[in-house]
Amino acid sequence: MSIHPPDRFTCEEVFARLDDYLDRELTPDELHLVRAHMETCAACAAEYRFEQGVLQGVRQKLQRLAVPDGLMARITARLAAEGGKDAAG
Amino acid sequence: MDDRNGGTAEVAAPAATFEALLEPVLDAAYGTALRFTRNPADAEDLVQEAALLAFRGFHTFQAGSSFRAWFFRVLTNCYFSRYRKQKRQGTELALDDTPELYLYCQTAALGLHARSEDPAAEVMGRLETEHVEAAIAALPEEHRVVASLYFMQDFSYQEIAEMVGVPVGTVRSRLHRGRRMLQQALWAVAADRGIVAALAAVGSEGA
Ligand SMILES: [Zn+2]
Repeated sequence: MSIHPPDRFTCEEVFARLDDYLDRELTPDELHLVRAHMETCAACAAEYRFEQGVLQGVRQKLQRLAVPDGLMARITARLAAEGGKDAAG
Repeated sequence: MDDRNGGTAEVAAPAATFEALLEPVLDAAYGTALRFTRNPADAEDLVQEAALLAFRGFHTFQAGSSFRAWFFRVLTNCYFSRYRKQKRQGTELALDDTPELYLYCQTAALGLHARSEDPAAEVMGRLETEHVEAAIAALPEEHRVVASLYFMQDFSYQEIAEMVGVPVGTVRSRLHRGRRMLQQALWAVAADRGIVAALAAVGSEGA
């Protein structure tokens, strides 16, 4: 099945795990093999850096948002009203 | 914190405990609700509704476990039960194939990789929050929900699976596919707003 030493990943094997690698969802063994490959393969490393940059950019933009003023106060008021009556089914 | 519970002494303590746990996660909860509902009024309603439901079910929250994960599960369930049956807006993407490395390939085709040290930053630096919001909003619902939970918080696949009520493998495939669709949507927005044209000129300004 495998035509390469089992302690190495090919570019294809790394690419198949790129998403899981970005999400830190690899097993420790796979993580090690992916990292080792990235250290010597500029093409895979460039793809990884690019994908990582896009994810970070998306995350940063989406987390910048304006929460409505007084939202916590309105929730607090509703909870207080809720506390004033018996729990409804 | 301010005690709005006034005369109802016996609920004051749990309400105060609940509110102290809720307040630090409220911004992220609102942001996630906004990605879910794509509408500020519905997002606030959803967060208020989820807060009320969570408060009613607060006795089921296990002290010492993650309140954030617990509350986001309530929020997600609340969205599914109350909001998802509303009319589907017509803006969702209908993509049969979702090519991998879409932005990478598009920017490479522009020659950006030869002209920039950090081509991802060149693209993302030109996109505004509203552009990314528009791209997220264009995702089909099941991908949008998973992607919202993923981008707003650093939840694991397992945590998201528990929130959405699907197997981990389903979360993984929805998230990966959702990200590929998101890249296509981002590129479409970038083309729309003249950003692709600007990227084509990166590195040649000084020439
Ligand atoms: Zn490689």
